[in-house]
Amino acid sequence: MAFSKKTEQRDLFRGALEMMILRSVLREPMHGYALVQHIKQRSNELLQVEEGSLYPALQRLLREGLVQAEWEISASNRRVRTYRITSAGKKHLEHEISSFERMLEGISLVLSPNES
Amino acid sequence: MRWLKQLVTRQGIYNDLSEEIEQHLAEKTEALMAEGMSREDAERAARREFGNVTRIHERGREAWMWPLAESLWADMKFAFRQLTKSPGFALTAILTIALGIGATTAIFSLVNAVLLRPLPFPEQDRLMWLSLQDHSLPGVVPQSVSYPDYFDWRAQNHTFESMASYARSPVILQQDGDAQRMDAQVVSSNFFQLLGVAPMLGRDFNLQDEKPGNRAVMLSYALWQSNFGGSKNIVGKTIQMDDEKFVVAGVMPRGFQFPLENPGPALWKSIADDADGTSPKTVQRGFNVLAVIGRLKTGATLDQARADMNLVAGNLAREYPDNDKQFSSALVEPELAHMTGDVRPALRILFGAVTLMLLIVCANVAGLLLARGSRRHAEFALRAAIGASRTAIVRQLLVESVTLSVCGGAAGVALAYGLVQAAERLMPLDIPRMNRASIDGSVLLFDLAVSLVAGIAFGLLPALRMARSTPAQALREGSRTVAGVRGQNRLHNGLVIAQTAIGMVLLIGSGLLVRSFIRIVNVDPGFDSKHVLTMRAGVSFLKMQHDQHFLFYQQMLARIAAVPGVGSASAGWPLPMNSSNVTVSFNIQGRPMAKGDEPSESLGVIMPGYFETMRTPLIAGRTFDERDGLKGPATIVINQAFAKKYFPHENPLGQHIQVRVGDDVFNSPMREVVGVVGDIKRKGLTAEADPQYYLPFAQAVITNPYMVIRTNVDPMSVQGAVAAAIHELDKSVPLYQVSTMDEIISKSTAQPRFQTFLLTGFAAIALVLAAIGLYGLLSYIVVQRTLEIGLRMALGAQRRDVLGMIVKRGFMLALLGVAAGLAASAMLTRLMATMLFRVHPFDPLTFAVTSALLLVVGVAASSVPAYRAAQMDPMKTLREQ
Repeated sequence: MAFSKKTEQRDLFRGALEMMILRSVLREPMHGYALVQHIKQRSNELLQVEEGSLYPALQRLLREGLVQAEWEISASNRRVRTYRITSAGKKHLEHEISSFERMLEGISLVLSPNES
Repeated sequence: MRWLKQLVTRQGIYNDLSEEIEQHLAEKTEALMAEGMSREDAERAARREFGNVTRIHERGREAWMWPLAESLWADMKFAFRQLTKSPGFALTAILTIALGIGATTAIFSLVNAVLLRPLPFPEQDRLMWLSLQDHSLPGVVPQSVSYPDYFDWRAQNHTFESMASYARSPVILQQDGDAQRMDAQVVSSNFFQLLGVAPMLGRDFNLQDEKPGNRAVMLSYALWQSNFGGSKNIVGKTIQMDDEKFVVAGVMPRGFQFPLENPGPALWKSIADDADGTSPKTVQRGFNVLAVIGRLKTGATLDQARADMNLVAGNLAREYPDNDKQFSSALVEPELAHMTGDVRPALRILFGAVTLMLLIVCANVAGLLLARGSRRHAEFALRAAIGASRTAIVRQLLVESVTLSVCGGAAGVALAYGLVQAAERLMPLDIPRMNRASIDGSVLLFDLAVSLVAGIAFGLLPALRMARSTPAQALREGSRTVAGVRGQNRLHNGLVIAQTAIGMVLLIGSGLLVRSFIRIVNVDPGFDSKHVLTMRAGVSFLKMQHDQHFLFYQQMLARIAAVPGVGSASAGWPLPMNSSNVTVSFNIQGRPMAKGDEPSESLGVIMPGYFETMRTPLIAGRTFDERDGLKGPATIVINQAFAKKYFPHENPLGQHIQVRVGDDVFNSPMREVVGVVGDIKRKGLTAEADPQYYLPFAQAVITNPYMVIRTNVDPMSVQGAVAAAIHELDKSVPLYQVSTMDEIISKSTAQPRFQTFLLTGFAAIALVLAAIGLYGLLSYIVVQRTLEIGLRMALGAQRRDVLGMIVKRGFMLALLGVAAGLAASAMLTRLMATMLFRVHPFDPLTFAVTSALLLVVGVAASSVPAYRAAQMDPMKTLREQ
């Protein structure tokens, strides 16, 4: 179980992974494996997301109706499940990003060495 | 319906997830192989990078579960971790809660058993208690019913499916040369059928069994087992009771009894017994001994039944004015309400008291949570900073407090179980069904509900308070402050004041009960109860006729008086503090009255020496002696209340009274009043002594009297010698109801003692909790203000100034609590007026002493933290800050 513990520690905060997924599938619909590679690449390998941890997050997004999934045949002739963002997902992403920015601001205020 | 759809489609979702994960691993393996890895290595690497597949599956599925339950579970796990991290706090809180919830649950189990549980009979809500209303006295005065009235009721009413009569009628069971006295009932033939319980063996009674000459008996399961070995052949056999032969009709199922007083009768006789003889009870309209129960017709209402029965009783009163004139209406009440009517107010008060105690417990734990919360400010600030919403923090805190209270509730169940067991053993009470109090499903449900409500009640305010502080403010406060958090202290102060006020209400309530109880036990019962042994002898009325009966008692008492250790012995009926009582109508010579208007008072029948043995004072004239024997002139002795009521302005001695009692009731002699004695509290210590008159036993042999034996030694120690003396005379006479007079008096005060004991217990706990609450708050304030106190001392404040400052704070809080408590008590104590005996609900002494007590306790509770504050070393304190 050492693996899963580490993953949980690496999760920055609840909802961060979901945000990244939504951002990625907003650009273009993708299947799970492609999503992992995409997020790793985009973060310059800084975010060492455990590949499996993506799937629970995808399930949560599916449940909330923020993404849709369909089985398709990929270019490499493989049966893959492709995720698309829904309009609700788009709205949610916008909201999350703005509140994330506000939170970042708050944290940096609290953590800043010179207290006003 | 979304959840239903989910439930159906969930398996499909999980299958998709599995396939997706398999595909992912396959794609990854291929990619790694393309980089030159062997298939085996690539597969292993793919799995490693993916993580724990089972766990991922699990978490993926969790996404589809009920989100609130899921996060509640997480919160609860976290709450447990938090509590185990500070076991001292958790244990204190849980024990306090267990005390509150345990006591509440215990009282609820009593309330449940006595008041709430339905009667154990089918369609019990249609069972009605019926009685005559005596209009010759003010208020609601139920009067037992006579056989002729009962038969007319049964025939003439229109609202009852059936109506049955029952009356106590102890018997002596003669078996194998042994005689045993048994509690028994005489019941009408439809009694069992009306209650809806059939005999488990044999046949039910029928109308034939009510006819004179027949002798049928129904056995209880217990008697069948104990005396007849549970033999199925008993049905149809003959058994001997009171020197007569009875045919066993059947056996009732185990545990059957009605009414539900304890213990239940050993057997039931049909009313044929009372229909026999030259002047049978079944035709005497003035012989009011029956209790009546009815089963309403389906659809009939209580009001309809009342109107119906009033009509029936009114007709009978007009038809038979000689006997029924004052009984022109009837009382109808649901049986359950009637049975529990007497104890209902007392149980309500107890339940109210224990609820108040629970409130104190909640306030106390809320105080604990507040103090603890202030140490966790930084933790919650950090959580808020990383995005926890206010709701999430409140929810987390509430889950913590509910976890505490559920743990406390679980411990409370154990406590309640112990309390109920102890109450049963320590407090023998004649409350119907109380011995059936148990921790059953509804009590557990109650316990759980109270735990949840209490958890939210004491957790909510502190939680809201905690969640209010903003992260930045809280983190800044992580460093020591001088003034403390004002708002939080205000809340904490309020809690302490509330605890004191509620504690005050409980203390005043218990103080009033204690004062009342002291008044009760100091009432002069009209006789000296110390060193008096009482018992009854089962002398058969069939074997010994009137005169022999009296002579037998005379010899028996002479033998008893000769037993070493016995001072004197006599006999009389009824015994004081005993529910048995008969009122008989009479008329006074020179004051002619129409037959239905004759006055009626309580009758006593006594042997010579009764008042001397009981030490009841003689006021005028003489008591009975050998002159008042079988052949002597007809005499009567009256008590003071009787003299005052009927002879207010004349000398009662020498007056003549005719009492309709004895063998020839229609030709009773005029009796001369030969003496006036002091009043005996017949009904109980708290009741007013009522007018009573006494006839010599020789002239009115109506029942087996109670023997009263005054001893010079411990009365119970002569019991064996007395029994031996009686059995020398006649071996076949069973002795029963052996008790000391002190025990009888003590039993008559059992209920007030029980109430007083319980309420005082609650009040004591409340006092301790209020003291702990105050102590806790002040200790907390002292720690919070360490810097300030150190500064003050450094600036020249004396130790006694610091001491005074803290004690004054405690005193002020106690004073506010006392003031609020006084106001609340003034409103609440009137509710317990009916429980008080010769004590006013606003008894100034109780109010004053309680206030003083609470203030003293308040100062005492503040002095420990105050002393601690005064002992601080200012330099050390300031350096440490």
